Amino acid sequence: MMQRLKHALLFSDGWFKQLLVLPMQAVIWAVLVVPLLIAIYLSFVDWEPISGREWWQAPFAGVANYKRALLDPRFQSAFVRTLVLVLTVVSVQLVLGLALAVLFNTKFPARRFYSSILLFPMMLPWVVVGLIFFVLFLEQGPINYLLIGVFGPDRSVDWLGRPLLALLAIGLGDVWQWTPFMFLVIYSALAAVPPEPIEAAKTLGASEWQIFRRITVPAIMPVILIALLIRGLEAFKIFDLIFIMTGGGPGTSTESISLYLYRTGFVFGQLSFASAAAILVLVFVVLVSWAGLRPLRTEVEL
Amino acid sequence: MSEHEVLIRLERVSKVFDDGTVAVKELDLDIEEGAFVCLLGPSGCGKTTTLRMIAGLEHPTTGEIYLRGERITHWPPQRRKAGMVFQSYALFEHMTVHDNLAFGLKARRVPRRQVRERVRSMARQLELDDVLRVRASRVDLSTMQRVAVGRTLLAEPDVLLLDEPLNNFQAGLREQMRVQLKSWQYQFGRTMVYVTHDQEEAMTLGDRIVVMRDGQVEQIGEPAEVYRYPTTLFVAGFIGLPPMNFLPARFDASAGRLTMAGAGVEVDASSLRLDRALEEMVVGVRPGHLSPAEEEGADGRPRIRGRVELVRPTAAKTILDVKAEGGQTVRALVPSPFSTAPGDPITLAFEPRHLVVFDPSTKRRIS
Amino acid sequence: MSRGRYRTGRPWLRLLVATVVVLVVLGPVVWLASLSFKPPEEWLAGRPTIIPRDPTATNYLVLFAPGLPGGAIGEALRAAQPVNRALINSLLVAPISTLLSVAIGFLGAYGVSRFRVGGNFLPFSVLATRMFPPIAFAVPLLVYYRTLGLIDTRLGLILMYTASTLAFSLWLLKGFIDGVPRHIEEAALLDGASHWRVLFTITLPLVRGGLAATALFVFIMNWTEFLFALIFTSRTAVTVPVQLSQYVGTVGRFYGPQAALGMVASLPVLVAGYAIQRFLVRAFTFGLVK
Repeated sequence: MMQRLKHALLFSDGWFKQLLVLPMQAVIWAVLVVPLLIAIYLSFVDWEPISGREWWQAPFAGVANYKRALLDPRFQSAFVRTLVLVLTVVSVQLVLGLALAVLFNTKFPARRFYSSILLFPMMLPWVVVGLIFFVLFLEQGPINYLLIGVFGPDRSVDWLGRPLLALLAIGLGDVWQWTPFMFLVIYSALAAVPPEPIEAAKTLGASEWQIFRRITVPAIMPVILIALLIRGLEAFKIFDLIFIMTGGGPGTSTESISLYLYRTGFVFGQLSFASAAAILVLVFVVLVSWAGLRPLRTEVEL
Repeated sequence: MSEHEVLIRLERVSKVFDDGTVAVKELDLDIEEGAFVCLLGPSGCGKTTTLRMIAGLEHPTTGEIYLRGERITHWPPQRRKAGMVFQSYALFEHMTVHDNLAFGLKARRVPRRQVRERVRSMARQLELDDVLRVRASRVDLSTMQRVAVGRTLLAEPDVLLLDEPLNNFQAGLREQMRVQLKSWQYQFGRTMVYVTHDQEEAMTLGDRIVVMRDGQVEQIGEPAEVYRYPTTLFVAGFIGLPPMNFLPARFDASAGRLTMAGAGVEVDASSLRLDRALEEMVVGVRPGHLSPAEEEGADGRPRIRGRVELVRPTAAKTILDVKAEGGQTVRALVPSPFSTAPGDPITLAFEPRHLVVFDPSTKRRIS
Repeated sequence: MSRGRYRTGRPWLRLLVATVVVLVVLGPVVWLASLSFKPPEEWLAGRPTIIPRDPTATNYLVLFAPGLPGGAIGEALRAAQPVNRALINSLLVAPISTLLSVAIGFLGAYGVSRFRVGGNFLPFSVLATRMFPPIAFAVPLLVYYRTLGLIDTRLGLILMYTASTLAFSLWLLKGFIDGVPRHIEEAALLDGASHWRVLFTITLPLVRGGLAATALFVFIMNWTEFLFALIFTSRTAVTVPVQLSQYVGTVGRFYGPQAALGMVASLPVLVAGYAIQRFLVRAFTFGLVK
């Protein structure tokens, strides 16, 4: 009996297929489905760890948490701040990455060596990038030293202590770390563009710029879209860099959405409220990735 | 159209690539206005590089290229009026057929209305009206080819360069496309330079054939001339299917006779019109010029006697591999049906005037 | 035959531009490296130098033996935890969760690639775990990690990391398995091998290189993870990134040792990253861009 069962489990076709994906499905349930259900539950009740009750005994709260989150100016500004930051840094990364990729797609000495140097920022731990830009932008750090050298002694700036400048420093850190990603993706896409259509366009009299705009860019467009989507979603999660550089400060002026959720949920322990806010963010992310994937569906085979 | 005006001249053109490969060596070539010139040769012989240099996609390392007497050696492709049809057709796959056709005109800033009219008329001539709105990646091969040709013609090139455009076609369709290409030449009256490794294609399409090897020209001439009077051993072996038989021969000056020991046959040298008499020579005879004959005959034709080794019948002709008495294998092309079997004795006769004689040291023709 | 793709004029000008870019990219890290070898007097004051005037290894020494070098740095850092524990934690958690993630991902990828088990929904729901901000999962995870007693344990982190990098393992390995011709497996099946046997003796060896590259990349992800580690550990299970943040946050202005720890934290991932240089585009885009 056991023998037969064992045989059926290990060798039959149907069981084989199911066993292959079983561990994966278990993980999906454990970290995606169940937490999501718990989060939805928590968002509709009123529960805080210090309330003394177990979480399954919490009183029903309706949509109160959602209302509070939507009306919370701190949530709103963290959300808008994150969006603006994402749009800014990702566009800068796209432009710089594209320019670099075009540059590196031509011939010059040391090209290969240089392109592999360009890779390393994106491998570094985010916290280390945070640390680097933290020490660079210190009041007595090298950036200020350079500014004093160029503009005179009273040009020292308290970068991380002033809201907009701190955001600028954070953005620069992200641009520094992730422009290489855009570069690398576009560079490899450019290298894969077949040479014949470009040559054909040349013999038809098209200028280099016309060729770039009408042949090369359309050819690499699907890849650029994928890169933008992935980078955008990734940048939206921004946490480590800000946590190390400013901790969200001064005040709440550099708080990203992740940092906001972290603070409300884990520093202040308002788990129900944080759950509601998290679900609002999830809904937003789902909508954006759904809309972002749509044009891709037709362009690439997923 | 004056027949002999030179449109494009290549003068001692050489091309060495960055990695040191020598693709073309000291090439001289004149292309006359209105001609259909075929560059023919095995892969790697430099024919495509030559074409790309005419297009301006590559620039010669040394040597000069002239267009109607003007030196264009280092002009970028945009400045020349050389249209090129690529082996892959290189259509702009993200655009419609219409936009592909209009590309060159738009690039040259032709007014919108004119673009529309000219694209339409070209589409009519090439029977592309129905697919104008279709994406170029979705049309079939022969349509792709028509789009590629139409796109190139619309730019009104001085010369149309074609790089093995029929390579992607199956045998049946190929023949049809050849007819089509030839008819386009009359229809549009353009000078064409056509690269191919397929000798049959070159023979049927070209007014002139340029046989290339190792980056150099072996022979230039009309198809019949190249076939009948190959100037080198290479050309003789490369053109014609099955390839020419080469028989090593010794010349006996006192008797005035040429002995081909391997084939067991000798001929009177006076019938060969030799430029020079050498002791060692190579005699070429086309398989089609060997015909079955009685063992002895009064017609006086030289005869090769031997045994059939292999019989390969095709529809119209049968190919025989015959082991001659002297030990050499010769190949004969005889009309089908021809009933014989391996091992059967056979006698093959030929006319001495059909022989071509080469100098084995210089590998050039001497008859 | 090599063909220049674009016009090749003025390569030296382009070299110049590229050199400037490379310097901008290198600059910040060179600064960190230099800082990690500087004595306290040079951390901030005066004219910044790339090469320390008075290089010292003290910053590294105090990390591992806070009391040893004595002096002001040692005194201050004595209050902080030594990094040994964090280092050991990271060295355990990152590789183990990498192995688990790759193993589960490999089985799943085989099922998805060969039998399309779960259709499109399964692979995309795995991908979704990586698209969403992790903080959104942290709240409910905290709730049941408390219930299960997994908070501040290595096991808790390992499980979480296995799950959070599964998207990479699945999608990257699926790409490699898709590249193995089916005929090879079918031939083995016809010879009488079982599915499991085919999987482990035919397919697995054929994607060895892909497995190694995927594992290295997943290791980078696990080693650098910060948010979960920050939330779910406090003392016993802290990892190197968390330790680093504590140094920056609580120890104060001890930039030298902080930089040294940053270097220590970066070294393993730089080595791993350069080992899979050619694979990085594909890896960061889940194999969607090849």
